[in-house]
Amino acid sequence: MNASAISVPHGHDHGHHDGHGHHGHVTLQYQPGLPLSKGKLIMWLFLSTEIMFFAALLGSYVVLRFGAAVWPKPHHVHLSEPIGAFNTFVLICSSVTIVLALEAARVNKVGLAKTWMLLTLLLGTLFLGIKAYEYQAKFSHGIYPWKPRGLIYERPDLYYGSAVRARLGEPAMIDRLKELDDTPADQLSTDQVAARTRLQQVRKMVASPDQQAFDLAVVADQIMPLPAEGAAHAEGGGDGHGGHGGGLNDVFPWLRLPIVIPGGNMWASTYFLMTGFHAIHVLVGLIVFAILLSYRLDAKRAGMIENAGLYWHFVDLVWIFLFPLLYLF
Amino acid sequence: MTPPAATAVDHGHVTVSAPAHAPKGGLGHFLSTYVFSKDHKVIGLQFLFSTLVWFLIGGLLALAVRWQVAWPWSDVPVLGKLFAQEGGQMAPEFYTMLFTMHASVMIFLVIIPILAGAFGNYLIPLMIGADDMAFPTLNMLSYWFMWPAFFFFGASFFVEGGAASGGWTSYPPLSTNTASSPASGWGQTLWLLGLTMVGVSSMLGSVNYMTTIILMRAPGMTMFRLPMTIWGMFITAILQAFALPVLTAAGFMQLADRTLGTGFFSPEGLIVNNAVPGAGGGQPLLWQHLFWFYSHPAVYIMILPAMGMVSDILTTFARKPLFGYRPMVYSVAGIAGLGFIVWGHHMFMSGMNPALGITFMVSTMMIALPSAVKTFNWLGTIWGGRIQFTTSMLFALAFVSMFIIGGLSGIFMAATPVDIFIHDTYFIVAHFHYVLFAGTAMGVWAAIYFWFPKMFGRTMNEFWGKVHFFLTFIFMNGTFFTMHILGAVGFPRRLADAYHYETFHHLQPLNAFMTWCAIGMVASQIIFAANFFWSMFYGPVAGRNPWNANTLEWTAPSPPGHGNFDFQPVVHRGPYEYSVPGCEKDHLMQTDPPNAAAAAAALAAH
Amino acid sequence: MRNRLSGIFWGLLFLAVPVLGVATFAVAPAFDHWLPKDVSTHGTQIDSLFYFILALTGIVFVVTEVLLFWFIWKYDAAKNDRPATYIHGSHTLEVVWTIIPAATLLFLAIYQMNAWADVKMRRPDMPPTVEVVARQFEWRLRYPGRDGELGTPDDLHLTNDLHLPIDEDVLIQLKSMDVLHSFFLPNVRIKQDAVPGMKIPVWFKAREAGEFDIVCAELCGWGHYKMKGRVTFEPRAAFDAWLERKYAEQEATQPAPEAGESLAAN
Ligand code: HEA
Ligand code: HEA
Ligand code: CUA
Ligand SMILES: [Cu+2]
Repeated sequence: MNASAISVPHGHDHGHHDGHGHHGHVTLQYQPGLPLSKGKLIMWLFLSTEIMFFAALLGSYVVLRFGAAVWPKPHHVHLSEPIGAFNTFVLICSSVTIVLALEAARVNKVGLAKTWMLLTLLLGTLFLGIKAYEYQAKFSHGIYPWKPRGLIYERPDLYYGSAVRARLGEPAMIDRLKELDDTPADQLSTDQVAARTRLQQVRKMVASPDQQAFDLAVVADQIMPLPAEGAAHAEGGGDGHGGHGGGLNDVFPWLRLPIVIPGGNMWASTYFLMTGFHAIHVLVGLIVFAILLSYRLDAKRAGMIENAGLYWHFVDLVWIFLFPLLYLF
Repeated sequence: MTPPAATAVDHGHVTVSAPAHAPKGGLGHFLSTYVFSKDHKVIGLQFLFSTLVWFLIGGLLALAVRWQVAWPWSDVPVLGKLFAQEGGQMAPEFYTMLFTMHASVMIFLVIIPILAGAFGNYLIPLMIGADDMAFPTLNMLSYWFMWPAFFFFGASFFVEGGAASGGWTSYPPLSTNTASSPASGWGQTLWLLGLTMVGVSSMLGSVNYMTTIILMRAPGMTMFRLPMTIWGMFITAILQAFALPVLTAAGFMQLADRTLGTGFFSPEGLIVNNAVPGAGGGQPLLWQHLFWFYSHPAVYIMILPAMGMVSDILTTFARKPLFGYRPMVYSVAGIAGLGFIVWGHHMFMSGMNPALGITFMVSTMMIALPSAVKTFNWLGTIWGGRIQFTTSMLFALAFVSMFIIGGLSGIFMAATPVDIFIHDTYFIVAHFHYVLFAGTAMGVWAAIYFWFPKMFGRTMNEFWGKVHFFLTFIFMNGTFFTMHILGAVGFPRRLADAYHYETFHHLQPLNAFMTWCAIGMVASQIIFAANFFWSMFYGPVAGRNPWNANTLEWTAPSPPGHGNFDFQPVVHRGPYEYSVPGCEKDHLMQTDPPNAAAAAAALAAH
Repeated sequence: MRNRLSGIFWGLLFLAVPVLGVATFAVAPAFDHWLPKDVSTHGTQIDSLFYFILALTGIVFVVTEVLLFWFIWKYDAAKNDRPATYIHGSHTLEVVWTIIPAATLLFLAIYQMNAWADVKMRRPDMPPTVEVVARQFEWRLRYPGRDGELGTPDDLHLTNDLHLPIDEDVLIQLKSMDVLHSFFLPNVRIKQDAVPGMKIPVWFKAREAGEFDIVCAELCGWGHYKMKGRVTFEPRAAFDAWLERKYAEQEATQPAPEAGESLAAN
C-alpha cells in the first residue's frame, strides 16, 4: 500500500452511510473476543442492567417491608396463593415452550417452531390475563396504587371515621342507601338482608360525631373484615381470589366504603410497583414474540429466537423471586 | 515500509469532511447524514455540540448562582430581567432552582454525555480498529433519547412554579411533597422524566460500548494493548450499566410518590405547611441509599474516561511509554469496584446508623489507593520524558495537578469526625468542583484540543489555545481554591444568603472575589468558542497523525470516512511505544509492522 | 529560545499552585477566615484531626505538585537533547506507592474511629435535656418542664431560642415535622440531619458560655437560608433561672399547648 492507494477521494463517503461494504471500504476483521455473537453478548449485558433494576425494586421492597411497623398478610389484601402458583406454572411452561421453539427452529422445522412460539405467546398472554384478573380483584376492593382512588386507611382513627361518614354522605350514596332500605326483604338474598341490618348499624355508629376508636374498629371490621391468622382458608370462598366474603363492601360492591388494612398503602405501592414493572416486561416479550411470528422461523432466525428466549427466561426468573416474596411470606 | 504512517499521507490526500462537497442534495440526504446518522463519528459530534451548548448554559447558571452568593438581593444583571423577579432581584426559591439546575445540567447533560457520548462514541471504534459501533441504530437512539431530556430540563424553567428546586440530590420528602416546596410543581416531575431519559440513553450507550470493545477489536488488539482511553470508557460503561438502573428504579418510585400519591419515601405523620399529606409508611433514607448507590459510582463515571484520555495525552507529549500500564488498568478497575461500596460516605450525617458509617469510612479511605497509584504513574510518565507544551498537554498536566487537590480534599470528608463539621459546607463544593471542573473539564479540554484534528481535519490555534488555558487555569483556582477557606469557616452550601449568620457575615468580600474570578472564567471561554469554530473552517489542515501518536485512530484519514479505515489495521504492539531505542522515529504506531530493532528493544524492556 | 521560555513559563505556573495554595491556608487564619471558635469538649478532637489531615494532605500536596513542577521544568523537550527514557514502569515503585498510602490511610481510618464514636455512638445514659423539632423554617424547642419528662402537658415550648447548661452532658432529641433539615452548631462541631419519622439523639458538652448560631445545613425549601436559631450556653444556675422565667411566661400566656401540636410532637 502506498499513499495514493489509501487516499480517499473527496466526498466519497457521503450518501452511502446505511449500507456497509459499499464503495470498496474494507470489510474489517476482528480479534476474537468472547465466543458469543454480538446479539447474544449485548442481550446478556442488557439483562445485567435489568437485574440491577429489579434488584433495586426488590431491595426497596425488603427495606420498606421490614422497616414498616405492620405489614398485611396476603389474605388481608386479597392475594390468592393458588392463583399465584398457577400463574407461576404458566410462566414456567412458557419458558419451556420457547426453548422448544428454538430447538425446532435450529433443525429447520419451521411449522413446529411456529407452533411452539405461538404457544409461548398464548401462555404469556394467559399470564397477563390472570394478572389482570388479580389486579381487578384488588381494584374492586379499593386497593389502588394511587391516592385519590385508594380506599385504604392504616388504622380506624378519626380520619377514617370521617372518611366513612363522608362517603355515606355523598348525595348519590344517600339515594342508593334509601333505595336499599326500601327494597322489600324478599327481593334480597338472606345474606343481603343480614348485611343490610349491619349496614344500618354501621351508619348509626358513624353518624354520631364522637365515635370511639373502639366503635370505628367495629365499623372497619364490618366493612371489610381482616381474616384472622389460619382462619383465612376456611373462610375464603366468596370472591375466589384469596379473599373473604361477608364484608359490607363485598355484599354491596357499590358501597366502596373506606377500609382499614394496617400497612396496606405501602403494601399496595410496592405490590403494584413490582408486579407492574414485571408485567411491562412480559408485555414487551409478547410484542417480540408477535414480531418473530411474522418471520420464517428457520435456523437463520435461531439467534433471534435465542435472544428472545434469554429475555423471556429473565422475565420468568424475576417472577420466581416475586411470587414467594409477595404471596408466601 | 510503514504504510499508513504519518509522512506518507500528510500531503493533502486526506478527505476533509466538507458539507459543500456532499454529492447528493436534498433534505432526506441531509437528515440521514447529519441528523439521523448512524455513523458513530457523526453521533459523537452531535453529542459534542449539544453538550457544549449545555455547558454554556450550565456555566451561565453558575454565574447567576455566584451572583447571589456574592451580592445577595441585588439586581441580577441579565437573568433578572429574563425571569422578571421582583424588580430584577432574585427570589430565594429561584436561587434554589438555579443551583439545582446548574448541577443537573452540568452532570447529566454535560459531563456524562460529553465523556461517554461524545468522546466514547467518536473514539471507541477508531481506537480499537472497528468500522463502527456494534449496533449503530442503538447508538443513534442513545443520542436521540437525550433530546427528550434536553427538552424536559430546558422546559422546566418555564413551567408554572419553575424548575426543580430540591438540589441535584432531590432528597425527599422535600422533592416528593409538593406542599413542602410550592415552587416545584411540574419542575421536579420534569426533572425526574429527564433523568429517566438520560438513563435510557446511557444504558443503550453502555451495553453497545461494551459489546463493541469486547468483540470488535482489530486483529492483534488484545485487551492489554488497549489504550487507557478505551479502558476508561470500558469500565465506565460497566459502571453505568450496573449503577444506573438503580437510579432509574428510584426515579420511578419518586415519580410515583409525586404523581400517584404513594409514600415510598415519606414517613408516616408528616405535617407539612400545617397539612397532613396522607399516605406514609415509607423511608426518606431509602432514597438517599438508592440515589448514592448510583451517584457515587457516577462521580467515577464522570472522571474515569477523562483519566484515560489524559493518560494517552500525557504519553504522547512526553514522548514516553505510559508508566505502569497494567497497574493503571487495575486501578481503574479497582476504582470501579470499590466505587460500589462507598456510597454511604454522602450520608454520614443523614441519620444512618453510625456503625455503618465506620464501614463506609474505611472503604472510602481505600478508594483513594487506586487514585494514588494513578497519580504516581502519571508523574512517572512525564519523568524522564521530552515534554512538548501543546495546549492539549497543558490541560492534561492541569488535570493531574487539579485532581490531586480535589482528591486530597476527599480525604477530609472521608474522615467521619471531620465530615461532621464540613459536611454540606463549601468544603464539599470545593472538593467536587476540583474533581469535576478543574479535573474532568480540564481532561475534556485536553481531549478536544487533542482530537480536534481527527474530528475536523484541522488543528486548533495553539496560541489562543494557550491563552484560553492560562486564563481558565488562573480564574478556576481563584474561584474554587478559596472555597476551601469558606468551608473551613463552616460556610454552608445551598444558602441564598448566609450573611445574616454571625459566624459567616464577614465572608462576603471573599465571595465577591470568587464571583469576579468566575466571571473571568466564563468570559475566557469566548476565546475557546471562537478558536473552536474558527479552526473548524480555517485552521491549518492536519494530516492523519499531526501529533505523531501511536494509537489506531491516527492511521485513519482526518476526518475518517464512513467505515473509518481504508485498510485493514493489524495491531502489533501496545499503544505506548514512544522513543523506542534503536528506532529511527520516536514513536512506533500500533500498526507499524514489527521491525527487528524495535522488536528487540520492546522485548528487552519487558 | 522562545520554546525554552515557554517551558519555564508553564513550569512556574504549575509551581504557583502549591506555593499559593499553601499561602492561602497559611494566611487565612490571620484574617479570621478559619475554623470558628470551638466551645465544646469534643471539638478539639475534631479540630486536631482536621489539622492532622491538613498536614498529611498538605505534605502529599506539596510533594506531588512540586514533583510535577520539577518534571515539567527538567524534562522540557526544548531544554535538553537527551532522548526520553524508554521505560514501562517499575514493579518496586508500584508496590512502594501502593503500600505507603495504604498504610497511611488505614492508620487514619483507625485513628479517627474514637472521635467518631464519641460524637455519634457513645450516647450518654440520660433523659433528653431538650427536644428539637425542625420545621419549615424554624427550630421548635421543647423542654421537659418541671416533671422532667417530655411529652407531658407541662412541657415548655419555645422557638429558635435554645439555652443549654455548660460543663455537663446535654442530650438533644432531634426530630423533624416535615422535610429533612440539619442541626448545625458550627461552634460546637455538631451536625446532624433531622429526619421525619426518626428520633435522633445528639449529645455534647459545652465548656464556655456564650451565644452562637444554629444553622440549618440541609436544603429544606425556599426558606432554607433563613432557618436560623440561636443557642445560648450558660452556667447551670443561670440556665435554671432562665428556664424558670420562660416557664412562668408560658403559663401566663397560654394555659396548655394546642392539641395539634402535641399530636405532631409525639
Ligand atoms: C469526579 C468526581 C469525584 C471524584 C473523583 C471524587 C473522589 C473522591 N471523593 Fe467525592 N464527591 C463528588 C465528586 C467526586 N468525588 C461530588 C460531586 C460530591 C458531592 C455531592 C453532593 O453532595 O452534592 C462528593 C462528595 C464526597 C463526599 C461526601 C461529603 C459530604 O457530603 O459530607 C466524600 C466523603 O467521603 C467524598 C470523598 C471522596 C474521596 C475519598 C474521593 C477519592 O476518590 C479521591 C482519591 C484521590 C486522591 C486521594 C488524590 C491522589 C492521591 C495521592 C496524591 C496519593 C496520596 C494520598 C494520600 C496518602 C492521602 N466525596
Ligand atoms: C460537572 C459539574 C459541574 C461544573 C462543571 C460546575 C461548574 C461551576 N460551578 Fe458548580 N456545582 C455542581 C457541579 C458543577 N459545577 C454541583 C453538582 C453542585 C451542587 C448543587 C447542589 O447543591 O445541588 C454545584 C454547585 C455550585 C455552587 C454552590 C451553590 C450552593 O451550594 O449554594 C457554586 C457556587 O459557587 C457553583 C459554581 C460553579 C462555577 C462558578 C462553575 C464554573 O466552573 C462554570 C464555568 C463554566 C464555563 C467555563 C462554561 C464554559 C462554556 C463552554 C466551554 C462552552 C463553549 C461553547 C461552545 C464551543 C459552543 N456550583
Ligand atoms: Cu431547614 Cu434547611
Ligand atoms: Cu461519593
